[in-house]
Formats: sequence, C-alpha cells, structure tokens
Amino acid sequence: MHLRLIYLYRNLTRNPLRTCLTCAAVGLPMVIYVLSSAVIVGMEKFLDNSAKQLRLAVAHKASIVNPLPDGYARKIQSLDPTGTRLTAVCGMRWIGGKIENDPRLVSTVAVDAEPFVNAFPDYQLTPAEKDAWLKDRQAIILGRGTAAQFGWNVGDRITLRPSLPPYTPMEFHVVSTADKATDPLTNWCHRTYFEEELKKQYPEAPQNMVSFFFIKCASRQDLDRFRIQIDDLFKGSIDETKTQDEKAFMNEYITQQFNLPRNLAILSAVTVFVAIMAATNTMSMNFRDRFNEYATLKAIGFGGGYVFSLIQTESLGLCLVGGAIGALAPYAAFRFTPLRNVTVPLIQHLEIQPIVCAYAIGIAGAIGVIAAVWPAVQAFRMKVVTALRNLE
Amino acid sequence: MALPISYHWRSLFVRKTTTLMTVLVIASVVAVFAYMLGFAASLRASMAMASDEHKVIVIKRGATAESNSAIPTEEFVKLAQVNETAVDPSSKQPLQSPEMLVQVSLPRLRDGGKTFANVAVRGVTDKAFAVHRTIRIAEGRMFETGSREVIVGKSAADQFGGIGIGDTINLGYGGDRSYKVVGLFSAEGGPLESEIWGYLPSLTNAYNRTMYSSVNLRLKDDASAASVVAKIQGPAIQLQAQTEPDYWNEQSRLIRVYLGIAYILVSVMCVAAICSIANTMYAAVAGRTREIAMLRTIGFSERQILTGFILESVLLSLIGGVLGCAACQAWLSLVGSTKDMFGATTFTTLAFQIRLTPLAIAIALVSVAVVGVIGSLPPAVRASRVQVISALREP
Repeated sequence: MHLRLIYLYRNLTRNPLRTCLTCAAVGLPMVIYVLSSAVIVGMEKFLDNSAKQLRLAVAHKASIVNPLPDGYARKIQSLDPTGTRLTAVCGMRWIGGKIENDPRLVSTVAVDAEPFVNAFPDYQLTPAEKDAWLKDRQAIILGRGTAAQFGWNVGDRITLRPSLPPYTPMEFHVVSTADKATDPLTNWCHRTYFEEELKKQYPEAPQNMVSFFFIKCASRQDLDRFRIQIDDLFKGSIDETKTQDEKAFMNEYITQQFNLPRNLAILSAVTVFVAIMAATNTMSMNFRDRFNEYATLKAIGFGGGYVFSLIQTESLGLCLVGGAIGALAPYAAFRFTPLRNVTVPLIQHLEIQPIVCAYAIGIAGAIGVIAAVWPAVQAFRMKVVTALRNLE
Repeated sequence: MALPISYHWRSLFVRKTTTLMTVLVIASVVAVFAYMLGFAASLRASMAMASDEHKVIVIKRGATAESNSAIPTEEFVKLAQVNETAVDPSSKQPLQSPEMLVQVSLPRLRDGGKTFANVAVRGVTDKAFAVHRTIRIAEGRMFETGSREVIVGKSAADQFGGIGIGDTINLGYGGDRSYKVVGLFSAEGGPLESEIWGYLPSLTNAYNRTMYSSVNLRLKDDASAASVVAKIQGPAIQLQAQTEPDYWNEQSRLIRVYLGIAYILVSVMCVAAICSIANTMYAAVAGRTREIAMLRTIGFSERQILTGFILESVLLSLIGGVLGCAACQAWLSLVGSTKDMFGATTFTTLAFQIRLTPLAIAIALVSVAVVGVIGSLPPAVRASRVQVISALREP
C-alpha cells in the first residue's frame, strides 16, 4: 500500500507542468460550476421560502399590470369571515421610486399596514419596529440590500419620487431595515399615505387600486382551496383574477428575467463536459507515455486489477486536487475579498454555500473516475506478451 | 520554405484520442461563446433599429418608462411649443404622436404556453406611422379606426400564442373587450415589432384612461435632439424626454449586465481550453523531439519549427471552432432560437430571435485561433529550442 502511494505521488510529480495544466483545466470549470450553482441554489432558497410562507398572490387575469379595485380585499376576506383560515389579506401597489438626481431605481411597494404585519411574519419585525410601522403613516421598511446601497439607517428621513402618478416627492421615515427578510431589495410603505398623496396631487388618476393582493393562509389545504375559490369568486366580473401561490408568482417573474437558473444550469453542464474531456486527454497521454511501464509491471507479476486501480487512483487524485482548488477558490474569494459585495439580481448577495463546494469536489472525483476508464481498461486488458513485443 | 500544412494535418491524426479530446474541449467552449455572440448580436441588431436620433420619446417626469407614465392632455398641448418638430407635408400637422402603452399577458409558444409574457399593447393614431418610420404592414391590412381591430408585430406573432391574423384577443381594463387581429407589421426588427398596435381612442376607452402614456416626436432633419430634450425638460414644459437610442439603451441595461457576467464565465472557460491545448501540444513536442531534431538537421530553421507548431495548434483549434459553431447552430435549430426579455423598467417583453450571424461565427473563429496561439506558444518555443545533437542521439 505504502509503495503504491509513493508510486502514485511520483507519477503525479513526474510531469509537473502537465499536472498543473490539468488541474487548471479541471479546476476552472469547477469555478464556473460553483458560481452558477450558488446562484441557482440562492434562487431556489428564495423560492422555497416563498412556498413555505403559505401565501397566495392574486393579480388581474389580463396582466399583472392591470390594477384591481382595493375593495376586493373585503370580498376575499368574506370567504372566511372568522379569519382563522384566511389570516390576512394585504393589498399592494408597486410604486417603484427614485431619489433625486440618481438613476438607480428603488423598488417600493405600498401595502395595507396592518395586514402586512400578519401576512409577512417572516420579516420578524421587533415589537418596537412593529409599533413604529403601525403608528406612523409615513413609515417605510427598507430591504437591507437597498438600505446598504444608499446608506440609509433606521430613523432617517428619506425622500422618494414614485415612478407612477402622482410622481411627486414623498417623504418617508425609516422604521426598519428588515434584516431577517429573504427579499433584500423591496421596500414597504403605507398604501393609505400613497393614496392621500395621489388624491391631493393627481386627482385625475384612478384611485384606490392595487397591483395585487397577498393572502396568508393557515394551512396548505386552505392554500389550495382558496386558490380556486378566489378565482371562482370573481369569475364573470369585470376584473377577473388569477391566483397563484407565491412561489409560482415569483417564478413567473424570474423566467421573464432572462430565465437565469435554466441558462446557468446549461452552462455548468457544458463546463463539466469540458473538464471531463480535458482530464481524459491527460490520462490518455499519460497512458501512452507509460505504456512500457505498465507492460513491465504486468510482466513482473502485478495483476491487471493492480494496474487498473493505479491508473484510476492517479486520475482521481489529480481531479480531486484540481476540483478542490477550483471549488474552494470562489468560496474564499466571495467570503474574504471585496468580491463579497458583488450583487446578483433577485438574491442580491452571492453566498457560496459549502454544500455547493462539496458537490463540486464530488463531481471532480466523478470526472477523475470517468476520465481514467478508457486507459485503465486498456491497461487491464493489455496482453503482456504483445505489450513487451512493442517495447522499443 | 515553411513546413507544409499536410505535415501538420497528418500529425494531428497520429494521436487520435488526444486530438479528439482537445477538439471536444474547444468545441464546447466555442459553442457557448458563439451562442452568446449570437445573442448579443441579435440584441444589438434589434437596438440598432431603434436608434433614430430624430425621434424623441416624451414621458411624465418621474416615470421610468412609457408603461408607468401618464401625461394629461393639458401637458400634451404644451408640446406644441417644440417648433423643431417635423411637419406632415400633406396635413401641415406637427408630427407628435400621442400614445398609450398597456400590457397583456400572452402564452409563450416556445414552451407550449406553460409560461406567460407581458406583451406591450400600444394605442396609436395615424401620426404614429409618420413618426415611427420603420413600420410597414407585412401581411393582412391596417386596423380600421371604427372597429375593434389591432395589428401585431411580427416578432410578437412568432413568439406568443393567440395573436395570428384572424384571432381575437381580449384587451381592456377588465380584459373583456375582444379585438380582432387583422394584420402583421414589421419594424425592421426593432423593439416595436414585439408590440400590438391598435387605435388610440378605442384603446383609451377600453382601458378607461383619460391620459396618454407617452408622446413620440419626429424632429426636423436639421434640429438638434439635445436642445429639444433640454427644452422639453425645461421650466416651460416640464416633461421628461429621451432620444430613442437613449431610451432603449436604458431598457436593455439589465440584459447587458447578464451578458457581461456570461462573458466573464466564458473567458474562464477559455483559460481552461488554453491549458488543455498547452497540455496537448507539450505532449506532441515531447513525443516528437527526434522528429524535430531531424527537421532541424535537414535545414528547417528554429523559426519555422516555432511557427509550424503554432500553426498545428491553430489548425486543431479551428477544427474545434467549426465543430462548436455547428453544434451551436444545431442547438438553435433543434431547441429553438426565440428569446424574450424584460425591459429594465417597462415590465414589457422584448422578443427577438438569436441568429448565428456570419460576424458572430467570424469572431468566434478568430478568438479560438487566438486561444490556439496562446496555448501553443510555450510548447512551440520549447520545440524550437530542441538540442539537435543530443535529441538525435537519444534512443
């Protein structure tokens, strides 16, 4: 065993240049794999959190931008007058927003203040934050990413200009930066405040409309039942609705945005293929160079299985080293260098999960095994007599 | 005389496995790269058709796109002060086209209608056809102002369901007014081709609106767009104006960020490919040391050996490159080449088709040749420095 390890080590260091180049050719695709998977996993986590929250999203059937009358909230609540299974109905209106002389767009949503607290327990607002939010009609809860981006803190007074009527600047008081929330970007303000402003500044614009409702259900059964009941309730009316669970609703948004998860999955599949080919190339070159050696080994009594495992372990070791470097480099880079501030659409912070690195190393191992199959089988089958005859 | 190409060509087939593996590595990288180049080219082509410097898009101050802008009539009339606007020769009317932009959710054809896209619906008057000069009716006829009829952009009709000629779609505030599709229009491939157009008064009525979304101006040929923009944003009018290229540049910002990330990832893959080529070429040099010494003996110079090995690597890379482009084209024709994306702030879909243009192929092949040169440079230098006497003496 000990002898075998030494032989393995010598084999790997025999042609250091080739070993390094192969490590790079396997490691770099692993870098891409890790980065892509981190984004995909991040988005899935985001969606899974959405699914866990047992919320329904109700939008207009014609299109998400067609508004719904806010009176629908009462009608929806009337499906469960006790409020035990339909625990909160929160009307929302997207108002966007920009600050003066800054091209960056801020995503702000005006919501019904009280139902919001009940519908979004995942925000884990402290009692003090909750209190400040409910008491002050100019309160705003910032996404922590947005807060960091603009340098806003709790207690600040900020001025935003909505991206739709009334378009006039509105002052908000920051009450929380939602540090526990999964969505780091969206800001939340009171819909009553927005409607007042709208009435005052832009009376000709339609009033009391919402973009969609978010509805909190008590259980999964309730979620499935109300999803159908709500659409049935408004069937035949002027504004028919389309109700989806929150995950489906968010997913529709993601697929509109370039469908990042799918494209990244394809990209990482191609890179893994690249790594397999690169490693196979090296192993077949090694086999060619050491043809005589394997023949001699067999001639002096080592079995086919020994030679087979020798080639397999060499390839495995080579790819594991390359893969480990490739998998751990982005992990370190996105944890300890300025790269950790890179923003990614939707999930904002690119967190490289250790599990993704572990997967990458596992895949690198698999690449090693696959790459060595052909040379190892050839060596296994090699007829000693023929092999020795070919010796120069 | 340099080493003949056939020598290098045959050398590639001496080590068939190694050559095949290297070609596959290169082909995979090139396939991804070509796909992205095609994507970027189609996006650019579409944007290039929306780069009319003499077309100004006016929206409400504070709005970020036509779709969330609302201009009341009394603000629209202020635009009459813009005397740089071109004038329609027959009616003597200024070419200012008030428009309304809303959206309708339509199923995507490419996944069998499982997902939906937000397609823009634009209400226009006859002035729009003088302001947006690229619009041509490609099939069917123009909508009639008296009936509920719409015309559909060709890209939209290709990619979204239920909007062929003769189909009816439900529009309106409550989605309860059915409009008949009577024609298809083209816009030379520009972003307007992803839209549905109908008669403005009919659509404002259906959507219960009293305001316009935007006003598109056609400027006189000698007018300066910058001064018009300044005038519209100035104290007298107080609206927001952008030339068409600026507007679309901003809308495609997000997609260009994605493309930038994708290019970084592909360059990482290129480095992996370079390593693989270097590996192959080092092995080739090591295996042919005696051959090289022989070539040197019969009179080939160091330089000829150097360029010879680089040439061999470029040959190898180009085989991979051609294979990669072919794979990319096969993917596009088998899996589909239609794509749509969200404007950064419009919430509407821009549909376009990815095409592997000759330019994209050329860029991909030149890049892969460069990769081949870089990968083979160190091994080729080693080959050119082979010590002739000792190499010949080796067994």
